[in-house]
Amino acid sequence: MEDLFASLVKDFVDETEPLVQKASALVLKLEQASGEATKPLVRSLRGELHTLKGNSAMMGFTPIEKVAHRLEDVCAEMAAEGSAERRAQIQLLLDGCDLLLALIHSALGGGVDPAAAEPFLQRSPQPGANVPGAEPSLAGADVPAPSAPPVTAAVTENDESRGSTRIADDDIDGLLELAGETIVGQIDLTRVHSRLARGRFEPSDIALMDQILLALGRTSRDMRHRLLRLRLAPIAMLFRRFERFVRDLGHERGQTIELAIQGGETAVDRAIISRLYEPLVHIVRNAVAHGVELAPERASSGKPQNAKILLAARLREGRVHVSVADDGRGLDLAAIAAKAKAQGIDSANLSERDVQRLIFQAGLSTASSVSKLAGRGVGLDVVASVVQGLGGSIDVRSTSGRGTMFVLDLPVTVSLQKALIFGVDSETFAIPTGFVVDTLPNREKDLQAINRVLLCSWRGDFVRATDAGRLLGCQGLAEAWARPYAIVMQAGNKRGALLVDWLSGVQEIVVKPLDETFAGCTMIAGATVLAQGRVVPILDCLDVVRRISAALLPEAPEANATEASDDVF
Amino acid sequence: MSSEDSLPKHPGADSSDSVVAFADALLAKTPRDPGREGVEVRQYVTFFLRDHEIGLPILQCREILRTSVITRVPEAPQQVRGIVNLRGRIVPVVDTRACLGFEPSPITARSRLLVVEVAARQFALVVDRISRIVKLMKSEIDVAPADLAVPYAVGVARLGGSTIVVTDAERILHGGIVSPSSSGRGEPA
Repeated sequence: MEDLFASLVKDFVDETEPLVQKASALVLKLEQASGEATKPLVRSLRGELHTLKGNSAMMGFTPIEKVAHRLEDVCAEMAAEGSAERRAQIQLLLDGCDLLLALIHSALGGGVDPAAAEPFLQRSPQPGANVPGAEPSLAGADVPAPSAPPVTAAVTENDESRGSTRIADDDIDGLLELAGETIVGQIDLTRVHSRLARGRFEPSDIALMDQILLALGRTSRDMRHRLLRLRLAPIAMLFRRFERFVRDLGHERGQTIELAIQGGETAVDRAIISRLYEPLVHIVRNAVAHGVELAPERASSGKPQNAKILLAARLREGRVHVSVADDGRGLDLAAIAAKAKAQGIDSANLSERDVQRLIFQAGLSTASSVSKLAGRGVGLDVVASVVQGLGGSIDVRSTSGRGTMFVLDLPVTVSLQKALIFGVDSETFAIPTGFVVDTLPNREKDLQAINRVLLCSWRGDFVRATDAGRLLGCQGLAEAWARPYAIVMQAGNKRGALLVDWLSGVQEIVVKPLDETFAGCTMIAGATVLAQGRVVPILDCLDVVRRISAALLPEAPEANATEASDDVF
Repeated sequence: MSSEDSLPKHPGADSSDSVVAFADALLAKTPRDPGREGVEVRQYVTFFLRDHEIGLPILQCREILRTSVITRVPEAPQQVRGIVNLRGRIVPVVDTRACLGFEPSPITARSRLLVVEVAARQFALVVDRISRIVKLMKSEIDVAPADLAVPYAVGVARLGGSTIVVTDAERILHGGIVSPSSSGRGEPA
């Protein structure tokens, strides 16, 4: 019984979430529209709210029903365009949509708190009558801070744990046909096999088997391709969530910021879409805080009054490029260089592009004061590691006075990744190539131990290194010094080198998740199956690099080496 | 349905609550029907660990495989030997001996992987050898006597000259792999 109710709730959330998002988008359009154009908008808005009200009543989620009802009332009595009252109503509708999303998500977590909607319902006793101050004050809102949509955490978590996908009947039929084809192929092969087993070989059998294998190969590849496509969704799903966010960011600063979206139809893995939201929020927030000038400054540099932010996506060589651009003042290279210097990084010899890339280092924030928006000095380094974790990379381009653009280079799907295969002792592992900066022969003279810290010299620099066999707990006796190869990895702004026995080429792997039995194995992100069915663990490079930078050589036999190097210093 | 006359009378047509009460009463009646409990027959897959024959409900068992190369996962729980590929699905391989407190033993030619499913998760249990499939009536399963009172036993059944320790996959996996909450069953205090 409980399972049945849980699945009803899940369906309810799946159905109503898009309704609220649609309603929210309609309110934003309504804010911009005027005259006759507003009528159809209000009509569809009331339609969405009404459906939501009905669905919630059916499930017994009274608070959701009440809020939807209140918003319907507001729609019925929209004040004249341009009036302060109208602005307050719009804000009320937007806040109401936020609250609805939060309430809907709370249904998943065990139930809707009947008290949750009360502050909101009391805030608008009579729609349109007396909204305090008649000024659209965000600070006065009784709902969670609107500039950071309250759904953030809920949506990203649930998207992954819920993990359901609607599939068109045609897609299922197509897949069934392909599955049927593979069975036909298997029957054909069985026939040939039984002939061969009885020693009745016919010369034409080779040609026949060639034909069957070719068909089977084509069918199974096609099947995988179609299945992968089912995981994809238009990236507009993600981009649209920023319409509201950018509007609110602008209002907080008393200016209008336009959001432009390009390539919204680009299809990307749902898993990537859900994990990309946080990083994009960060980048967009940065773009507004650091890049976009306030109206007077824009006027004096001859820019249009309204600032613009562009979210774009396009496919390139089998990967997706997602870019966030603003038409602000550009990166302040002098300030970045000064901050870097304070952190002990000499940027004098770096190219302009490399100075720009310093913003991905931890602790470098150029906002001169810590505001609500930015300037805490954490962020872009975290963004960079999330993007790497998805098998991608991030870059920035900026022109002083013209604007800044962040480009995220991502795979279309997370279930397919490029990985470097390596071996240590008798075991094999895979590393996503996004984290590998270099591979090189490991020569004893390049290794140095200082106070039990092992360092590997690389491009005139030192990188902390550790023996892969020891780190991964392999049963072997080889020492770090004896491993023939080093893999230099970078995760976020941390580097580390793994010393290994052998490397094989880079190959495309299918990433498979591990059972939660292995939740404690933080160095392992999943597993893949290589040729001959060999199962190989995939390293979680964020954790591995973190461990490398904390790893110490064991006390025992290396103690001599430590003393020796102590003598040198 | 001899007990029909003891059911509540036909409910008033006006109240939906009484319909619910009526249905509840019907549902509650069925399993409590006396005399049926012991007749219920279940099938068990049995396997050996050392000289112990252990039975698992067949409904929890998915398939039996020969052991293949097991890939070790760094830092995995001690009762987990690693992972194998089960038609594209990566499944943990559980050292059943370690889970149940037997001394460790290497994998032999007779060792098999018994794939079980618990709460939509699959596990491959390493067993010394697979024995047979038996049918047991509920009344044939007794409380484990003191000399066989192993913590994982649900009960014991004597079949011919042999003794089968009856258990379930949750109890085997309990030690650190499946938590009591996710197996939907409380820990016997």
